[in-house]
Amino acid sequence: MTSAGPAANPEIQPGWRLRLPSRPFVRFLGRRLAALFLLGLGITFVAFVLTELVPGDPAAANLGQRAIGDPAAVQAFREHYGLDKPLPIQYGLYLQHLVTGDLGESEQSHRPVRTDLSEYGPATAELAVTSILIAYLLGITLGVVAAVRRNRLTDQVLRVISLGGISMPTFWLALVALYVFFFKLGWVPGSGRLDPGLLPAPHVTGLYTVDALLSGQFDVLANALQHLILPACVLAAYNIGLLTRFTRSAVLEVINNDYVQAARAKGLPERTVVLRHVLKAALPPIITVGGLAFANVMTGTVLVESIFSWPGIGQYAFHSATTLDLPAIMGVSLFVAVVYIVVNFTVDILYGVVDPRIRVA
Amino acid sequence: MVAARRPYPRVMAGVVIAAFVVLTACGGGSTTTTNHVLVVDKSFDMKTADPQREFEVSGGIVAKALYSTLLTFKGSDSATPVPAVASSYTASADAKTYTFKLRTDIKFSDGTALTSADVLFSFNRLINIKGNPSFLLDGVTVSAPDTSTVVLTSKSANPAIPFIIPNPALGIVNSKVVKAHGGTDQPGADKSDTAESFLNTTSAGSGPYTLKSFSTTSEVDLTANPTYWGPKPYYNTVVIRNIQAPAQLINIQKGSNEIALDLSPDQASTLSGSSSLQVKAIPGPNVFFLFSNNNAKISSITPNKHFQNAIRYGLDYASFVQLAGAGAIQTPGVVPSMFLGALPQSAAVSRDVTKAKAELAASGIANPTVNLGFPSDFTLNGISFSTLAQKVQANLQEVGIKVNLTGSPISVALADYRAGTEQLGLWLWGPDYPDPNDYLVFLPGQLVGLRAGWAAGANPTLEALGTKAGSTTDNTARGQLFQQIQNQLNTDGPFFPLIQPGQVVVATKGVSGADYNPTWTLDVSGAGG
Repeated sequence: MTSAGPAANPEIQPGWRLRLPSRPFVRFLGRRLAALFLLGLGITFVAFVLTELVPGDPAAANLGQRAIGDPAAVQAFREHYGLDKPLPIQYGLYLQHLVTGDLGESEQSHRPVRTDLSEYGPATAELAVTSILIAYLLGITLGVVAAVRRNRLTDQVLRVISLGGISMPTFWLALVALYVFFFKLGWVPGSGRLDPGLLPAPHVTGLYTVDALLSGQFDVLANALQHLILPACVLAAYNIGLLTRFTRSAVLEVINNDYVQAARAKGLPERTVVLRHVLKAALPPIITVGGLAFANVMTGTVLVESIFSWPGIGQYAFHSATTLDLPAIMGVSLFVAVVYIVVNFTVDILYGVVDPRIRVA
Repeated sequence: MVAARRPYPRVMAGVVIAAFVVLTACGGGSTTTTNHVLVVDKSFDMKTADPQREFEVSGGIVAKALYSTLLTFKGSDSATPVPAVASSYTASADAKTYTFKLRTDIKFSDGTALTSADVLFSFNRLINIKGNPSFLLDGVTVSAPDTSTVVLTSKSANPAIPFIIPNPALGIVNSKVVKAHGGTDQPGADKSDTAESFLNTTSAGSGPYTLKSFSTTSEVDLTANPTYWGPKPYYNTVVIRNIQAPAQLINIQKGSNEIALDLSPDQASTLSGSSSLQVKAIPGPNVFFLFSNNNAKISSITPNKHFQNAIRYGLDYASFVQLAGAGAIQTPGVVPSMFLGALPQSAAVSRDVTKAKAELAASGIANPTVNLGFPSDFTLNGISFSTLAQKVQANLQEVGIKVNLTGSPISVALADYRAGTEQLGLWLWGPDYPDPNDYLVFLPGQLVGLRAGWAAGANPTLEALGTKAGSTTDNTARGQLFQQIQNQLNTDGPFFPLIQPGQVVVATKGVSGADYNPTWTLDVSGAGG
């Protein structure tokens, strides 16, 4: 057996060493995971209690006008979904199943909630991630431009645009965008994730673009991208405005610092000074806004998915709430909570990456 | 020292943008629709493609395309059941026994011959699954004396059977295939039948189409069934997409779909001048009605007959029709205009404020205040129940009745309505099958009657009339009995039928046969080029 020292591994050059996670970091990770567990538990409890407090009846909401008058059908429904048991027992059974990854069965779709989430989740993820990427790309770029050209015409124009993005209601923007870019100009397709009759690539991730790429179906990839671009831009509008404003103010805070002046004095091109020295220092607050941007995306998806007929978590959550579909409501709540925690955890980690002064204590 | 330039990020960004532009450009931005692909936009309430479990509007469209039934209706008609899988049927004089003779040339899409055993399996499965459509065969036993005969026997006279049989929920499945995938027709099927997931991926029927792909959230794709026993459908492929009404309006104008099913009369009116579209707005089968609770425990005011008459003559029915828009009509009785036993328009109640005030005075109730329950977040055929409720409030205010609007989200309001605890209620009844027997629920002691606090025994004359009408086999006599019932309901009952909203179907000019049918909404196989 050969030695596994640095010399044996060409990837590890002399002077480098593998860094194992530090103890504070492991503690930090542990705390986060514990928080995830407790938060998840809390969310299931709150969702359970709140749904029970609503003076509605899931059987009335889900059975038809005739079936609700048929005691056998009502009894079968209640037994099937465990609604005939006392609330604490229902909750205990839910937790018991949750441990094994069983989120229960949706009363509206008659399918396991896990199956529903695995179908709706990727649709929302594809939309949300694209939207966030667009928002970051445009928001940071416009923010930097606005800061560099402070109080000039460009800055004023960008201020109007960013305030417009923040102020316009998402549903209104979605309808206008659909009318202009689909109906009038015909630049993009209107609704859904693919053209009618075009089947998605074989399911691997549930992300149509990724699955199409993996299977080499470039016509499907192109079609999925076309369908993605308009709802993603609509969903990104608010965050573009938000990030533009935050980036502008963050850049302005550091743009005249001594080390920036020193970089200029050394003769570095202005673009290098801004991108490499100014923007890096301005990044922490911008990353913080990322968490907020994600929250905006999650709330915006309900409306955008509805208008663009995008079969995602937003539509699923809406239908679950209006039909008092408890297992689905719980499943969506847990799903969103986990995603939030993961996003905030990522934001915390990114702090340390972009600013070495910020360490996990 | 100046750091060395690293071109890769920029190059990579360029590659990504270029790839995006090329990929989006090569898609062309157009749909894959051809002359023989029919794209139907519908806001989904889809739950399943299992015919014995579905009882939703969009589920009915799919099941109708995939599964054949013993009897059917032609086009938009729902008054005359015609043979389909059954070549003929006979009814016993007491309307308790129906015997269907089956065609022997029908094959399922896998080539297996359809026999009475498949009908027996499908109907018993429907009954024992205890799902939403199970009530269709309440009190009915099914038998198959030979391979081409099916007998339905009811405990009591059931002249509605021929009108129930065309429902897509009674679509005939291939029993061997469904059994092989976990299906059962035995008692306890509500727990032991596991064929739904299979039927959501593969159809097992003999209808004009087979299932190509099924999603309850995005779209359902159908392909023409090569072994279909009837006339070959014009469209080889049908795509039914889950699209909300505002997007349907844009899509149909843009030409990216052939049929839009959820446009409101208001939305449809914006298309009336279009040369490329055909807009059909006809009275729909849903009946919107108001009721005044007859239960004194719920209210001491609302059971008063004079008070009820004050409401009856205080409502401005014409303004409700105007509000509902194109295609809407005032419904004279609880049975909609296209069904047997419907009252003529001349029998409709008209507004008479003076009479209403006189009735209120005769009630002996001074300055009555009552609560009106309704589903505040519910809109059907483009009509919001909140708007209707406000109109009721304004109408009755003129008469001297103060109405508090106590609307709530439908999941909450439904519970109150079904528990019979609303003082006044604003609701609708949609047909489960196109027969007046479906409207006996408005009588005392029946489903909707109880919701209005009208207990059994409250009106023995009317109840006896209902029993007689429900079991009369002669349709002419049955129709007359139902008219009698409704005239009496309009005099003594706690119900105030308001409107039948317009049902809108918009299709591109080149599409024929896009007819609305109350039982399955749209028969996609009937659409032609």
